[in-house]
Amino acid sequence: MARVEVVPAFPITPQTTIIEYISEFVANNELDAEYIHSEGEHSCMGMAVGASLAGARTFTATCSEGLAYMHEVVAQATNYRTPIVMAVANRTLGWYWSLGPDYSDIMPEMNLGWLVNFVESNQECLDQTLMNYKIAEDYRVLLPTMMSLDGFYLSYSQERVYLPDQIEVDKWLPPYRAPYPLDPTESKSWPSSMIPSALHTKYRRLHEEVMEDAKKVINEVDKSYGETFGRSYGGLVEKYRCDDAETLMITMGSMTTAARRAVDRLRKEGENIGLLKLRFMRPFPSEELIELADQVNVIGVVDRAVLHGTGGGMAFQDIKSALYNSEARVPVKNFITGLGVEDIPIDDLYAMGKKIMKISKKGKLDKAVEFIEHEFPGAANPVDYDFTDETCIHPGSDGCAGCGASIIVRTLLNTLGENTIVINPPSCSGVNYSGVVKVPWVLANFAAGPAYETGVFRALRKKGKADRVYITSYAGDGGTVDIGLQSLSGAAERGESIIWLCYDNEAYMNTGIQRSGSTPLYSATSTTPVGSEWKGKPQRRKNMLMIMAAHRIPYIATASLGYIPVLNREIEKAAEITRNGEGLAYIHVHQPCTTGWYFDSSKTVEIAKLAVQSGAFPVVEIDHGELKINVKPRELKPVKEYLEPQRRFRHVTDEQTEIIQKHIREDWEALLKIEKEGKLPWF
Amino acid sequence: MSQSKEQVKGLALNDIDTRGGKYVGNWRVYRPVILYDKCVVCGLCITFCPEAAITRGDEGEPEIDYRFCKGCGICANECPQKAIEMKKEEEEE
Repeated sequence: MARVEVVPAFPITPQTTIIEYISEFVANNELDAEYIHSEGEHSCMGMAVGASLAGARTFTATCSEGLAYMHEVVAQATNYRTPIVMAVANRTLGWYWSLGPDYSDIMPEMNLGWLVNFVESNQECLDQTLMNYKIAEDYRVLLPTMMSLDGFYLSYSQERVYLPDQIEVDKWLPPYRAPYPLDPTESKSWPSSMIPSALHTKYRRLHEEVMEDAKKVINEVDKSYGETFGRSYGGLVEKYRCDDAETLMITMGSMTTAARRAVDRLRKEGENIGLLKLRFMRPFPSEELIELADQVNVIGVVDRAVLHGTGGGMAFQDIKSALYNSEARVPVKNFITGLGVEDIPIDDLYAMGKKIMKISKKGKLDKAVEFIEHEFPGAANPVDYDFTDETCIHPGSDGCAGCGASIIVRTLLNTLGENTIVINPPSCSGVNYSGVVKVPWVLANFAAGPAYETGVFRALRKKGKADRVYITSYAGDGGTVDIGLQSLSGAAERGESIIWLCYDNEAYMNTGIQRSGSTPLYSATSTTPVGSEWKGKPQRRKNMLMIMAAHRIPYIATASLGYIPVLNREIEKAAEITRNGEGLAYIHVHQPCTTGWYFDSSKTVEIAKLAVQSGAFPVVEIDHGELKINVKPRELKPVKEYLEPQRRFRHVTDEQTEIIQKHIREDWEALLKIEKEGKLPWF
Repeated sequence: MSQSKEQVKGLALNDIDTRGGKYVGNWRVYRPVILYDKCVVCGLCITFCPEAAITRGDEGEPEIDYRFCKGCGICANECPQKAIEMKKEEEEE
């Protein structure tokens, strides 16, 4: 609706719905925008800043670890004054991973100079997106804006919304004209990245003035939106039953809906409590707060994040700071709840309201901060099964029926044995298999898997144990060929004696089948859908075999779950090489995915074999520079046999099949030629 | 200064005793049934079972632990002797 012009995207749960729908709009020519499939969030934000600098209306979305990975670029967007709008589908950040919301992800981004707002419902989400562009692109503001929407509660839920009329929206929100675009044909000035130290304080002060000015613009835009489209939300804050309130509850985001019902219930019981929803956290609505603080005798703040080391929550600390130098003298109570996707039910909010009323009657605050905790019901149905000596993996995982990754991980662990450490950048296997293996399985950050491995390896080498413990990854294609590639390249070049095993299912399966740098030509994914404009992925995949070969590492192999004895031999070779401290051993295993490639769950192994027999995925190794084809069919099968059972290739025409066939032929002949010549010349 | 592990507060741990799977037999729509008179004990079904739900019995013959079988059908599809049949699960009463 906002007619965004550039959308860089990288998938992360629970933001994926946003970027998938946008890719569908673009695929079907419903939105005329440049959609960029970025290879990681750091780049994604870089693309957004670049596009906005060049004068395009830019949108992106992320959350949690992705937002943290962007951090450096997020900070940079401020002084470039790029009015990007970024949706943050809140999800907990850092330790004790969870996919669900709390505000620990947006907390570290709060003070970088962006405008930060929180929405309660999907309707508000839609309205606020339009408003955010209007605010951000106002020359009095010209700042990037982050919109927090609770992951799952809003991003994965469906709600009927009123769509404003496009013609009206176009009138209300005209195209963005950057005052100083990065475009030599239009402007001789552009935003500066550096200023002398002597000017820093001045520019920071000016930025604070802009933030103050933004308050006025936010309230203006909210009013104007209301007048044009019939819905407004109160600007910086929204008040609910505050007129005659003696006490005040403060919330933000989706929990506010439940808080409204709790306040209704308390009101019915005669308690004079009001509710304040913080819509904007930056700029912080101090004036509105002080005004209300004069009226009430207790404030209770519900926080979905902890500022560690301060003893309290995010909004709590801001509210106290805002009130301290004012005339208002009112006790502020803090409730911390709903962390890592725990619900905040009406009953809990009602109980909090009761506590607030109690403080009001008592006139005294005993305990400023309270954590609302719930009992853990315990795991259901413990399973009667013991690990046997032969196997390192327990049956009964959460993996899909017919999952190929489990066959590979079992082969890997059973070959390497118990003295193995698995380092796992986020992937579906981390979710499904980390809990059923006998060996340590460490979840690494997406871009840092090889770095985690390096650290473990160096520590063990220092302790003299590097030849007794295997360190291997179990990484997906995204964590290997896209976001993990920089770290992998570093570890390979330094010659760390670790194993990198990539199970390649040719897309980001964990987040819902988004295309990766390993997705093959024409494959349909949730971010390269088939529409009137797009017909699956238009690019060929990366050639990881040769990328790794360029590093001159001692061992590189590709494998397939259809040929387990070959995979076994390759893992044994990799183990020997790392045991001898020769350097990095890389194994790239092709893994057909029943869920993501859309074929019957019984065909996993059959399709894996067809990929090898047709030459679509050759099984080769490069042992100290010697290339050898490990599975060599006498004659390659037509690739059609491999493509046909997979619904991701359903739209592929005969002409396109012929193009794929041509690529396969060329690659296969090249492999045969290299094999004949012996050693790769650069080894 | 000596320290004890008990002093560590608020660290969630993983250990082998807390690992393990779930009973996933109720995922099944089709149930693999081994026809032992056709089975030649090649072990391919054991190799390819994604769930490791098939193990060797006393005489090397494959045995399916139905508590952990999700009914994907790979074993039946890969069996060179066609010695595994997929039969529709009965509706529960």
